[in-house]
Amino acid sequence: MIWRAFASEWVKMRRRRLWYGSYGAITGVVVLTTIVTIAGALHHPDSRGDLTLAQLAHASGLSQGLTQSGVLLGAVSFSIAAFQFGGEFAHGTLRNLLVRQPRRSVLMAGKCLAVLTFLIGAVVAATMVAICAAFVMAHLRGISTGAWTSGVGMADLGTLLGDLTISACGFAVIGMIAGVLLRSSVIAIAAGLAVLLPVETILTDAIPGMARWLPAQLLEAIAQGGSSAAPFTAALATVSAYLVGAVAIAVFVFVRQDVTA
Amino acid sequence: MAALATEPVVEAMERGSQSYAVATLGLTKRFGKRLAVDGLDLCIPAGSITGFVGPNGAGKTTTIRMLLGLIRPSAGRGTVLGHQLGNARAYLPRVGALIEGPTFYPALSGRENLMVLARLGGISTKRVDVVLERVGLGARGLDPFRTYSLGMRQRLGIGAALLPSPELLVLDEPTNGLDPHGIAEIRAMLRSFADDGMTVFVSSHLLAEIQQICEHLVVIETGRLIFQGGVDELLAARAPELVVRTESREDATRLVRLVTRMGRSARMVGDDDGRTLEIAADCSWAGDLNRLAMADGITLVHLAERRSTLEEAFFEITRNCGQEVLGNGDARAAAGRPGRSSAPRRAETGQP
Repeated sequence: MIWRAFASEWVKMRRRRLWYGSYGAITGVVVLTTIVTIAGALHHPDSRGDLTLAQLAHASGLSQGLTQSGVLLGAVSFSIAAFQFGGEFAHGTLRNLLVRQPRRSVLMAGKCLAVLTFLIGAVVAATMVAICAAFVMAHLRGISTGAWTSGVGMADLGTLLGDLTISACGFAVIGMIAGVLLRSSVIAIAAGLAVLLPVETILTDAIPGMARWLPAQLLEAIAQGGSSAAPFTAALATVSAYLVGAVAIAVFVFVRQDVTA
Repeated sequence: MAALATEPVVEAMERGSQSYAVATLGLTKRFGKRLAVDGLDLCIPAGSITGFVGPNGAGKTTTIRMLLGLIRPSAGRGTVLGHQLGNARAYLPRVGALIEGPTFYPALSGRENLMVLARLGGISTKRVDVVLERVGLGARGLDPFRTYSLGMRQRLGIGAALLPSPELLVLDEPTNGLDPHGIAEIRAMLRSFADDGMTVFVSSHLLAEIQQICEHLVVIETGRLIFQGGVDELLAARAPELVVRTESREDATRLVRLVTRMGRSARMVGDDDGRTLEIAADCSWAGDLNRLAMADGITLVHLAERRSTLEEAFFEITRNCGQEVLGNGDARAAAGRPGRSSAPRRAETGQP
């Protein structure tokens, strides 16, 4: 049953414009942050501890640029997922889907899996392009890339790719929940991005320790492999608890709500 | 009365009777303080084309959504294709529906839109091409939905409803916004579905269309059932009239007196100098009338029977229903007047 919903959703997601838009946006974000990070690296360390060319020559250097893309990647993932779910209400297509699949939780699970696989593909593809861009930038800035391709470097890259994927999926799940609860892609994207980006940033700056509790901050920490405010394991556990609770609420509402759209 | 009489139908269907495709008892939906559907007792005979008629906001779409499991009833029960109303997953694979106009993904082609639904419903993808051909979109199936005309969109909506080879086809306003040619196409399509043995439940504002294609009729107003039964029964319940035109106004005046002496009522109608009369009598009295008029020296230039249209019958029963509701404060009484619901009689006699 979930497979049918998954396959059905993929018929929609195969359309070219969605691929160009989504993969383009995600690749653009990841490549841009990689280029900016390497281009902005200093020749000598400064008092603020900004990234230097010497640091980029380490095994973890390849990951440095990608690490910075967590929040933007999350914002794009959130928007894509919110659009896919909220759009069903806005277009009025949900009623057609529910006549063919009345098990609403199954429909939601299938759609969710399809969106997540789409995003995982996008993150992997974007990372590949960003790696190419990083090598080009390294060449331009005279950074040695020998350590990047070492076993340690590859392991570091693999870990980062996993972290970015988890983070992007977390943002996407929040987007789906927003789409279901707000029943509109436009409202879900606008309200969601407003809360996840500026509101959370302001709260984090204003209240010490808030970074450990706010979902976007936690997902950003996960993308970076953990931060001083939110270590990776703690961030993953907290976000998982949030998402399980939020998904349970969204499923409950979705299953019980009258479909009048 | 309608509620009491419909109960055996629902119970028979719950026991597996196939006489009715849909039967509901006291189906009610309340949105906050607003009562959208009020104790609806529906009986849709299997294999019929049933029209679902009512003014805007009468509760037609809400009723259809309840039948399709999209809206949870506030009260009442019922069965669809022999399964409980609350168990939509049991009957929806055998139901096709077009609800409140065709809504599809604009960027996808007609074929892709149907593929989305076919994959979701576990329907063979070969069926998509069959359905596209059936609704006349075979040549345009690969074009984006956003480029479709309104008529093509409606046909794609009907195609989506046909995907599961349904036993029950529920169409909500399938002719909305169509030109006369498009309406005729949809009408022919609905007839062909019924010929294939489907039960077709179609809501429409176009009473003339309903009269042409439906043999069974459900009329609701402000969420309440005010008539269900055969279209012919509804029309027959309204007395036919003879329409007579005389050669002169004086003849018409004399004819009114003559008809009145015979115990019939007559009234002048039309704007042709008072020469046209409507006489409360059916065509069996036309010969007598003609002879009487001749004997009295009255020349008739036109004599014909006029049967009432569904539109006239609809306005009459909705008006009468309103008066009765105001009069006794019980809408169900209006719904349950003898002759207003033929389903109970059929249920009692066991006829399908």
